[in-house]
Amino acid sequence: MGEHILKPAVSAPRSRTTLEFWGFVAPAVIPLILLTIGTLVFLYWVSMTNYDLGTPLSSAHFVGLENYARLISGKDPEFWKSVRLTLTMSLTATFAELLLGLLIALLLESIQRGKGFFLSVLMLPMVVTPVIVGLVWKLMLNSEHGVINWLLARLVQDPPVWLGPNLSFTSVVLVDIWQWTPFVALIILSGLASLPVEPFEAAAIDGASPSQIFWFVTLPLLEPIIILAVLFRLIDVLKVFDIIFVITGGGLSTETLSLHAYRLGFGGPGWIGRASATSVVLAFLTIFISSLVIRQLQRSYRERRT
Amino acid sequence: MISPTWRRKSISLIRYFLLGVILIITTFPIYYMVMTSIKTPLQTYDPAIWIFRPTFENYLSLFENYRIARNLLNSAIITVFSVLSSLALGGLAAYGLAKYEFQSKETIAGWMLSIRFLPAMVGVIPLFLIANALGVIDTYGLLIAAYLTFNVPFATWMLRGFFEEIPGELEEAALVDGASRLQALVRVVVPLAGPGFFATAALLIIQTWNEFALALFLATNNVRTMPTVTSQFQTVRGVLWGEMTALGVLTTLPVLIFALLARKYLIRGLTFGALK
Repeated sequence: MGEHILKPAVSAPRSRTTLEFWGFVAPAVIPLILLTIGTLVFLYWVSMTNYDLGTPLSSAHFVGLENYARLISGKDPEFWKSVRLTLTMSLTATFAELLLGLLIALLLESIQRGKGFFLSVLMLPMVVTPVIVGLVWKLMLNSEHGVINWLLARLVQDPPVWLGPNLSFTSVVLVDIWQWTPFVALIILSGLASLPVEPFEAAAIDGASPSQIFWFVTLPLLEPIIILAVLFRLIDVLKVFDIIFVITGGGLSTETLSLHAYRLGFGGPGWIGRASATSVVLAFLTIFISSLVIRQLQRSYRERRT
Repeated sequence: MISPTWRRKSISLIRYFLLGVILIITTFPIYYMVMTSIKTPLQTYDPAIWIFRPTFENYLSLFENYRIARNLLNSAIITVFSVLSSLALGGLAAYGLAKYEFQSKETIAGWMLSIRFLPAMVGVIPLFLIANALGVIDTYGLLIAAYLTFNVPFATWMLRGFFEEIPGELEEAALVDGASRLQALVRVVVPLAGPGFFATAALLIIQTWNEFALALFLATNNVRTMPTVTSQFQTVRGVLWGEMTALGVLTTLPVLIFALLARKYLIRGLTFGALK
């Protein structure tokens, strides 16, 4: 991606016309405009009405920014709580996955035999259907008949209630870490494989210790790859829905913004107007954070190049 | 003093030990799912049972009591049509982006990439309301169209990368021979990008098959897909873990097969072609 953003494509003869270009691109772009910009505009309109689920659309009244004012002013105290939860989850999960992923990648890089086997195994979690991952962990973390506490009971006195009010947030983060750490590890591993050899040789000639080489050569060279992994994890956790939906249903202090929007709109009250406003805020949050990280990524690629 | 050989050997031993632990943590939930799916309902509530006579009653129950064949078929129909149409639309767009110089083409590509980062809830509410108003909720067409939202940008980005790896000369030769751009695409570029198409298709199949949020709201009954069936097993008597895990195995199996086939391209796909 960074590559495409910066490097001009393979040069092509100039005689090819703009019309031809659009002939190829329009069949994809037109439905996408309807599906994204069209629906976003509609969502924005709904977010400024008091529309309720189950009533005809014509009964919706325009209320301006009332739904937003309600969110921001704190009349909806769960909104700020879910903003905090969403950001906390995104940051902690990404940080943990990055740290563990880096360790796993370095471990894999250092072994000679069985690398291909370990790589294949690491690919499993990230392709398993997320709701199924959620359900299996819900079964394993159950405090009465879950296998995790059955194992822990052998080691400690009182195994914790994983899906109770205190730990359900931690549990959801742990499940995300289980599913996505291998993804980060494989990204970093493919980054390690593509690093140039010369800086390492130079450092070895200068008599640098292995830890010096790691901190002053490997890590700086890996920067763009690490930012890339951060980009994907940060945003995907911000918008996470499936796993939380099946594990806790959004209750017990795991109500992130997606789940908050879901509950307002579809989980009982049927306040579609307010749910839409929450979704618009979430959309802006993801756009804002992803553009920040992408800018960092481009800067990092450019520095690598020069 | 420890000799260097012993030191090296013990370090290597520690490394393999750590990787072994990671291996167990990674595979255990999948193993436990398969194991629970072949237990009797009573056994599913007892984690102390590790060795037992396997039963397939949970799988039979899925087909007999829950008509799961229908959901399997729904998932297959929606996946096949969404993937084929995304490959066609994305293939055309990828060709345009790969082979033409156009001022704002990177803006178009960047906009498509940004769709990847939109939350599902942003699409769910408007699509649900519009589909309801048009009376097309719970139809194949609705889900197939909705899935274009993230499948077309994905196909475009992946295929563009593959197309750019194909040398231009072969195509130029076809153009000189009087072929149109479209003919050159179909006869020269597509066959050469064959592995790229298969990899893109496999990854599209995985992400379409696994999709949950849109399916939950847009496929409410007749066209319900595999991932959303799970809600049926949370009964007042508790969760039917046997059926639930059997469903998990049936849902995951096709995905794992396609992941295996596209193993080489998995990271490339999951990073939208950023890493090769």
